[in-house]
Amino acid sequence: MRVRLEGVVKRFGATTALAGVSQEIREGELFTLLGPSGCGKTTTLRILAGFVDPDEGEVYFDDVPVRGVPPAERGVGIVFQNYALWPHMTVFDNVAYGLRLRRMPTAEVRRRVEQVLEQVGLLGLEDRTPGQLSGGQQQRVAVARALVLNPRLLLLDEPLSSLDAKVRARLRSEIRRLQQELRITTVYVTHDQEEAMVISDRIAVMRDGRVAQVGTPVELYERPADLFVADFVGTNNLLPGTVTGLRDGWAELATPAGVVRGRAARPLQSGGRAVLAVRPEALRISDGTPADVGVPGRVALSQYLGSLVRYEVEVEGGRVLLVDVHNPKGQIVLRPGQRTTVSFDPEAALVFPEEAP
Amino acid sequence: MPPEASCYSRARGTEVLLYLLPSLVFLAVFTYWPIVRAVATSLLEWNISHPQPRFAGLRNYIVLAADPVFHLVMRNTLLLALVAIPLSIALALLFAVLLHEPLGSLRPVYRAAVFYPTMVPMAAAAMLWVWLFNPSIGLVNYYLGRLGIPRVEWLYDMTWALPAVMISWIWKNVGYLAILYLAGLQAIPRDLLEAASVEGAGFWQRLRHVTLPLLGPTTVFVVAVSVINSFQIFDAVHIMTQGGPADRTNVVIYYLYQQAFRFWDIGVASALTVLFVVGLLSVIAAVVRQMERRVFYEV
Ligand SMILES: Nc1ncnc2c1ncn2[C@@H]1O[C@H](COP(=O)(O)OP(=O)(O)OP(=O)(O)O)[C@@H](O)[C@H]1O
Ligand SMILES: [Mg+2]
Repeated sequence: MRVRLEGVVKRFGATTALAGVSQEIREGELFTLLGPSGCGKTTTLRILAGFVDPDEGEVYFDDVPVRGVPPAERGVGIVFQNYALWPHMTVFDNVAYGLRLRRMPTAEVRRRVEQVLEQVGLLGLEDRTPGQLSGGQQQRVAVARALVLNPRLLLLDEPLSSLDAKVRARLRSEIRRLQQELRITTVYVTHDQEEAMVISDRIAVMRDGRVAQVGTPVELYERPADLFVADFVGTNNLLPGTVTGLRDGWAELATPAGVVRGRAARPLQSGGRAVLAVRPEALRISDGTPADVGVPGRVALSQYLGSLVRYEVEVEGGRVLLVDVHNPKGQIVLRPGQRTTVSFDPEAALVFPEEAP
Repeated sequence: MPPEASCYSRARGTEVLLYLLPSLVFLAVFTYWPIVRAVATSLLEWNISHPQPRFAGLRNYIVLAADPVFHLVMRNTLLLALVAIPLSIALALLFAVLLHEPLGSLRPVYRAAVFYPTMVPMAAAAMLWVWLFNPSIGLVNYYLGRLGIPRVEWLYDMTWALPAVMISWIWKNVGYLAILYLAGLQAIPRDLLEAASVEGAGFWQRLRHVTLPLLGPTTVFVVAVSVINSFQIFDAVHIMTQGGPADRTNVVIYYLYQQAFRFWDIGVASALTVLFVVGLLSVIAAVVRQMERRVFYEV
């Protein structure tokens, strides 16, 4: 099913939770809403589910407006932020609830519940209550319950946020695999950019009730539309300064750390304030001898992680740059206190106008 | 056990005892000792014909067992509990659910309206109900009359006196129970209900399948409190009927009072006290044990 939001506005008293969201979600894709706390992700999901109607704008499911259609008739399945499993029912009863409300024959209920429990890898735990399950198992029950009615649209609200890192990594792959097997249109909410990158077909980065940018993980990572997205998606080193030169899409910036160059990601003004963003893996570090290009600094911290060494380099003006050096086998690892020069290909750096705070 | 450990735990034990001492002293002086005294006194014959107490074994209990008034009193007490408690729980739930639905700015008003009988002293409330149930000028008969229902003598009627007392007791207790239920309702996460509505559950199904089961722990408390309150109904009986007509509204605690201060039979009154305490405790224990098994979930 396709979903379309058109100019959706939602206010709660004085707060505007959604300030005009227009977005199309394609058939069968896993679409992620990514953004910091309070940006309106849950509100968007609740509008899609039908718990609240937008104050302005309209939502379409396959081009049919759904305003006023109650949640049960929308064909959506939801995994709530804290799973919202019914603690007084067994796993089986939790999953079977919707089927039984539909007066499905007992044998058919059993068959469908077992099928979906098998899909999420929970067969054998039917008779436990949610309190007797681990967090990851509860999460799977919630997914099973959301899927058992064969929804046209699956909504997941930070489904992994209360799990530990290992379980989280495993379950997100499982959710992705399941989603692709079933080819079900899915809206996935998270504030974890790494999770969003791994799992999504496309991501909408949200900020203050608006969509800041929509794109594939690669697009967002490589061509962030603004400073907020550049900062929020992945790790970026930010160097603020004054624009001293503009030519052919290139910008030169005078920063306390030195003069740096990058591609102008947005229209810039000569003499205006701007910020250069460059990823840790695009930075190179020289051992000791000052190079002719680059920013001089001092190693503040070096972390050896096997496949990479992550340096924190303090530059003039007090900023700390993160530098990732991959596959450092055989190379000398710089130690804290050593002088160095950080350089990068201007091709890999983006310059954005500084945003008013 | 290594010696340090035993020293340590003995020291801890003394410490614990010290902390508990104040409450233990109070409990001993005001709760346990009176019970012991009541048990002892219940074994004495001590009344107007025998002003000098003397040991009489189980005589007082045997007297009670053969006393038709005591049977009536027991019946009334149980009837009150078995009828009035379920009714007040049902009403309290209804009020709480209504209060919980969005009423906007009117909610504080409704809440005050439901809760205020709880704050009125029972004696004052009983006076009010004496007037309401007055056969000739009372509002109850007035409204029944308008519905074409013939006059009822209420507090003077052998059949209707006990229901009248029950009604006043329910009126007095429902508000408190409703507030307890309201707190319970507010503790149920919204998601649990929304999850049910996505699956297609309507209002009544959500109520039956999600809300009510999750109110289980509240209900255990509500039942326990109600049992205690119903066993202790005294002011209402004293003011409205004095146990009459013909002991039709007499209850254990009121009969106990009559034995002690009207008939001056201290021995029988003490036996009643013992039966009352034992009865109340065992009913509470049975109810709580029965219900706890079913209603507490690991969340
Ligand atoms: N029922 C409500 N009443 C009042 N304000 C609300 C309500 N629901 C949401 N809001 C407000 O709307 C804004 C967006 O909330 P929302 O829950 O959509 O954020 P979110 O992106 O899901 O955040 P989080 O990551 O913390 O879950 C917030 O400022 C929040 O305080
Ligand atoms: Mg949220």
